[in-house]
Amino acid sequence: MKDGDTTFLPLSPATLHILLSLAGDDLHGYAIMQEIARQSDGKYKLGPGTLYDNLQKLIQRQWVQELGHRPADDDPRRRYYRLTAAGRGVLAAETSRLGEVVREARSRLQMAKPRRA
Amino acid sequence: MLRPLYRCVLRLHPPAFRERFADEMLSIFDHCLGRPGLGGLGLGRPTALSLFADGLLSLARQWTLRPEFLHDVAPAPAHQPAMDGIPLFLSLNPFRPRAAAVIHGLLLSVAVFSLTCFAIKYSWIQVLHVRIPEVQFERPQWIPPTARQSDPQRGSPASVAQGRAPIPARPESPAAPSPASTAPPRALRPSSGALPGASPRPIAAQKHATPASAAPDSKLRKVTKTSHAPKAQGTTDPVAPVAGVPSAIAEDSKLDATTRHRVIDGAVANLEKYYVYPNVAEKIANALRAHENNGDDSGASDGETFAKLLTAQMQDVSHDQHLKVAYNAIKSSEGVLGSTPEELARYRKDMRRTNCTFEKGAILPHNIGYLKFNSFPDPSLCQPTAAAEMASLNQADAIIFDLRDNQGGSPSMVALMASYLFEHPTHLDDLYNRSEGSTLQSWTLSPVTGNKLANKPAYVLTSASTFSGAEEFGYDLKLLKRATLVGETTAGAAHMVRRHRIDDHFSIGVPDTRPINPISRTDWEGTGVEPDVKVDAGDALETAKKLAAKDLQQE
Repeated sequence: MKDGDTTFLPLSPATLHILLSLAGDDLHGYAIMQEIARQSDGKYKLGPGTLYDNLQKLIQRQWVQELGHRPADDDPRRRYYRLTAAGRGVLAAETSRLGEVVREARSRLQMAKPRRA
Repeated sequence: MLRPLYRCVLRLHPPAFRERFADEMLSIFDHCLGRPGLGGLGLGRPTALSLFADGLLSLARQWTLRPEFLHDVAPAPAHQPAMDGIPLFLSLNPFRPRAAAVIHGLLLSVAVFSLTCFAIKYSWIQVLHVRIPEVQFERPQWIPPTARQSDPQRGSPASVAQGRAPIPARPESPAAPSPASTAPPRALRPSSGALPGASPRPIAAQKHATPASAAPDSKLRKVTKTSHAPKAQGTTDPVAPVAGVPSAIAEDSKLDATTRHRVIDGAVANLEKYYVYPNVAEKIANALRAHENNGDDSGASDGETFAKLLTAQMQDVSHDQHLKVAYNAIKSSEGVLGSTPEELARYRKDMRRTNCTFEKGAILPHNIGYLKFNSFPDPSLCQPTAAAEMASLNQADAIIFDLRDNQGGSPSMVALMASYLFEHPTHLDDLYNRSEGSTLQSWTLSPVTGNKLANKPAYVLTSASTFSGAEEFGYDLKLLKRATLVGETTAGAAHMVRRHRIDDHFSIGVPDTRPINPISRTDWEGTGVEPDVKVDAGDALETAKKLAAKDLQQE
C-alpha cells in the first residue's frame, strides 16, 4: 500500500460507493447510481448533483478517468468512467481500514456481551 | 414542465462543471422520468421535483464550496472514433463566454442603449439632434403639383423654401378677395417649395450665409456683378455647379447660333407661360428676339456670357431684378432643377453655423432692443433661432430691426417676425401667382405667447441693398403704421421667382408671383420702399436710436 493511498482516508460514503461501483466495470453516471442502489439495497440514494460533484473530485485526483468512447447505440450524452489503478489502491486501502474497523467493532461487541452469573 | 427549469439550473452551474457534466445530468433526468424506478431495485422513482432540488443543491455547492473547480476544466479524454466506425468531428477549443461576462455585457448594453436614447431625446449633444422636418424636406409627396417643375423663390438666397396654399382668385385681379383664410397654412408649410428648387440656389445661399459678421452682402454683391444683375443678389449664381448630380458632366460651353436660338425660345416660352405680367413678358420676348435678329448675341460664344447677356436684355425691359437666365457648366440631368439633398443639407449646416443669419441682438441705451439679421430664412429650420432672438429682446421698451444688409427670403419668416409686433392676426399681403391663377394670403401669427413687444415702438433700418422679403417686411409695417422706416429707399424687388429648366445647361428664373398689399393695393417692384425718415444707410442706426429715445421720453 502506498502512502498516498491513505492520505484521503477515511472516504466519504459517496466516494466509497462510487469507487466501489466502478470496481467491477466501466459505468456511466446513471449506471453508477443504479449500482450504488443495488449495493446498499436501496438504502443509500445518490442524486446526480452529488454523484458528479464527487466524480469531479475523483477525476481531479485521478482515481477515476473518463473514457473517450461509448457503445454506438448508447445515449450520446452519456460518459463512461473507469477506476484507475490509483483509485483501486485507495479503495483497497479504505476497504482494509474498514475491515479493521469492523473487526475491532466485532471484538468490542463480543466483549460487551452480558454474561450470566 | 420542470425540465426546462432543470436545464436552466444546469446552465447556471460553473462553466467547467457545466461543460463536463450538464448533458449527462440532463440525460439522467430524462432517463429517470422515462422509466419507472431505478432498475426495479425498489428505490422508488425519483420525482422530477427531487431531481430539481438536487440540481439546486448542486448549483449552490458548486458555486460556494468548489472554488477550485470554477474555471479549471478537468482534462477531458481524447475522443476516439465511435465504435460503429463513424468518426466524430469536434471543434478545437470552442469559445463560450462565462455567464458573468454575459451578464456584464448585457447590463452594459442596456446602459449604453438607454444613454443613447436619452441623448437623442434631450439632444444636449448637438450631433445627435434629429430634426424630423429636415427629412420631410425631401419627401416628394409634399411637393404641390405646381411646384414639381420649379421653385418659387424670393430675393434672398435663404428663400429656398416658400409654402403655398393656393386660394382661387381672379387671375388678373390685383387684389383678389379671398375667403377668411389665415396665415398659418402658409406659415406652417414653409418647406414644400424647397424640394424642386433651382439647383444653384443653395450654393448662392451658402455664399450668402457664410459671413455672419463680415458683411454677408459683400460676397453677394460679387455674385451680382458676375451676373450683370446689380441688385438681384440672392437669385442665383450662374456658374454654380449642380452639386449632388452623379451624372453631371462638364462640357465645352461653346455656343453656336442654333443653341442660342433654342435657349431664347425656351426663355420666351417660360416667360409667356409664367411671368407675372403677360404684357411685360411679351415686351421682354420681343426684345430678346430683336436683339437676336440684330446680331447682338453673336458675340456670346460661351454659356456664361450668353446667360449674362440675356439677363441684361430682359432686365433692361422689365427692370425686374429677379428675372435671370442662369448657365450651369455642368450638365444636369432631366428634372433635377430641384435642390438636392446634399444642397439642402449644406443650407441647413450654413444656417446653423451662421445662427440663421441673425447677426446681432443687443439692448441699447434707453432699453432699446436692436436686432440685425441678414435674411429671412426658412422658418422650418430657423424658427427656434428667431424665437430665441426675439425672446432676448422681449423686455425692451422699443425695438430696431436692422435690415440694411438683409437680402430677403421666405415670406413665412417675414410673417413670423412681424407677428411679434401685433396682438392679433394681421393681414400683411396677398401673394398673387399668375400661372396658377391663385392668391395666397399672408397673415401674422399673432399673438405670440409671452411676447411683450406688440405695442412697443418699432423701427426698421433700410438701405439701397435691402432686398425683396426684407422690403416686404418694411413695406407692410410702414403701411400698417406699425414701424418707422429709417434709411434709404430699398432695392425695389418685390416678385417671387421660380426656376425653370431650358436645357441641360440653361435655366431661367421667372418671377410668377407678386405681393399685393391690402392697403396700397400694389407693391414696391421697381420703385423700392420709401423710408419715413430718409438718411444715409450708415447713419440710419444713430438716427433711429435718437428717434426711439425721443419717442420713449414722450411716452
